[in-house]
Amino acid sequence: MPSLIRLLAKRLGTSLIVLIGVSLLIFAIARVIPGDPARIALGPNATAEAIAALRDRLHLDQSFLTQYGYFLADLVRGDLGTSLYTNRPVTSDIAQFLPATLELVIIAGLMMVAFGLPLGILSARHRGTFIDHAIRMVTLLGVSAPGFVWAVILMLVFAYFLPLFPIAGRISDSFTIPPVSGFLLIDTLLAGNIRAFGNAAWHIVLPAFALALSGIGQAARLVRSNMVETYDKPYIEMAQSYGFAEKRIARRYAFRPSLIPSLTIIGLDFAAMLGNAFLVEAVFAWPGLSRYGVAVILRKDLNAIVGTVLIMSALFLIVNIVVDLLVSIINPRIRLSQRAS
Amino acid sequence: MSAPTLKIEDLKLAFKTHRGLIEVLHGISLHIRKGERVALVGESGSGKSVTARIVLGLLQQMKTARIAGKLEFEGRELDRLSRRDRHQLRGTKMSMIFQDPTSSLNPTYTIGVQFREVLDRAKPGISAADARLKAVEALADVSIHEPERVLDSYAFQLSGGMNQRVMIAMALANNPSLLLADEPGTALDVTVQAQTLRLMSTLAEKHHTAVLFISHNLGVVREFADRVYVIYQGNIVEQGPTGALFDNPRHPYTRALLAAVPRITGGGIPDIAETTDDFFAPLAAHAGFSEKELLA
Repeated sequence: MPSLIRLLAKRLGTSLIVLIGVSLLIFAIARVIPGDPARIALGPNATAEAIAALRDRLHLDQSFLTQYGYFLADLVRGDLGTSLYTNRPVTSDIAQFLPATLELVIIAGLMMVAFGLPLGILSARHRGTFIDHAIRMVTLLGVSAPGFVWAVILMLVFAYFLPLFPIAGRISDSFTIPPVSGFLLIDTLLAGNIRAFGNAAWHIVLPAFALALSGIGQAARLVRSNMVETYDKPYIEMAQSYGFAEKRIARRYAFRPSLIPSLTIIGLDFAAMLGNAFLVEAVFAWPGLSRYGVAVILRKDLNAIVGTVLIMSALFLIVNIVVDLLVSIINPRIRLSQRAS
Repeated sequence: MSAPTLKIEDLKLAFKTHRGLIEVLHGISLHIRKGERVALVGESGSGKSVTARIVLGLLQQMKTARIAGKLEFEGRELDRLSRRDRHQLRGTKMSMIFQDPTSSLNPTYTIGVQFREVLDRAKPGISAADARLKAVEALADVSIHEPERVLDSYAFQLSGGMNQRVMIAMALANNPSLLLADEPGTALDVTVQAQTLRLMSTLAEKHHTAVLFISHNLGVVREFADRVYVIYQGNIVEQGPTGALFDNPRHPYTRALLAAVPRITGGGIPDIAETTDDFFAPLAAHAGFSEKELLA
């Protein structure tokens, strides 16, 4: 499919421009917020000489553009600088914390699709009936509160009052899993430790579900409303006039065309989870990049802030590209117009 | 004489609303014999399209619809059939053509895929290769010169006229005994509409398919129908052979309808009353063309 490759190339090109813009912006914002990073890093008892030395090492006394130039030069070498908070290269911090966040967000995203789409389809197929009303009520509840509120509620109910799930963390301390990918669900399997895998899966259920709830509600409601609208299209009546089975009509004539507008929004919701994960991670003491991000912002750890935001933006863009590709696969209009242009 | 392909007797339809029942059809009767082309003519809202949908059984799924009357298809009473048997008729023994061909095709599948779904109704499990062969044949029948290209296209890539031909080919592909044409091609321009209707008409003849034309377009009706029923506000007000009905309209509503056709010579559209008591005059059947005489 050369048209898809062209689409991909185009999107990658624009994404690069967006990333440069984001880096400039966050680079500037990080420097505008009040406070001297060198002073914060070295503490209140540091001597003026020590602070001046650190400022010099960080090029903080140079012009903004020079600083950005140093940053870019390092970036192309894959170096995001050193974190003043952890005293380690920002890249190794990210490599350590990112997999936990990705794992959480991916599981939440899967939950969103696995629960949201079927609920929406069910609701649309039985529109106007009790099933529809019940689903709409429940999903409204899902979208009506942000993820961190659900996180607290779920934790209280299912980990504290009913101790069905662990309160916090990624895995019980009794397991030692050699990190390979950083994804515990994968590493435990690689280690051949099924019990550890079960334990990690058991830990991720509540935080992922809390993160996914509003997405599930959003996806279900979106799929329902788009599908109900599609049910009024002439091709539905045409399909009925030919006596196609209701299930087939629901799947191929109502759901599939209605998925095109739904998918874009679901993709955005998925990407938004990267941000929402900040608070959910905080509630569940989930050792992910989001928690790291909050910590470094509070300490005005310039390199770490820029690195974290840059990685998050890149992930956001990647998700969007994937969604665009999926949309163009199910929407022949886009696929074919790519070929024509 | 064998049983008519379709016989509707005293069909009534009402919709339940929060303000009570709204009656749409007040007991209409009509029939179509094998291979006959019959038109049901009336203004919008007169009850033409709902009649076709009741025949297919589409309106019956609506919870608010109240339907009474007798429907017979090839001598079998439709309401006595099991749900499954009745469902089985759709797309095999009866099929329908819609107003706007382009929006009546699924935008996410190619014509070929949809054609196979239609053929699968009559021959469940038909192979892709067989379906394609039959589809190519059917498309050639409606004078499509590059059937292969059309099968691999999506509806939005084809012209309205082309889609209309595709719809006709699909509707007749399973050799139905009854074709319900609901304002076929009203969304198309006039020359394309005439072309495709001619195709549909000759093809229906070739398949010995009875056609129920539902239209407000008197020019189309005059050219393509053997017999005409005029419907006004849920009542059949006049029925007869096409020629006689057009030359000598008996019912005041039919006269008004014919007077409303704009003439190419100009003079504008004549002023006719929105509704008068005359329009509710009893059914006027042309000699020898009442339901009783025709079905005797």
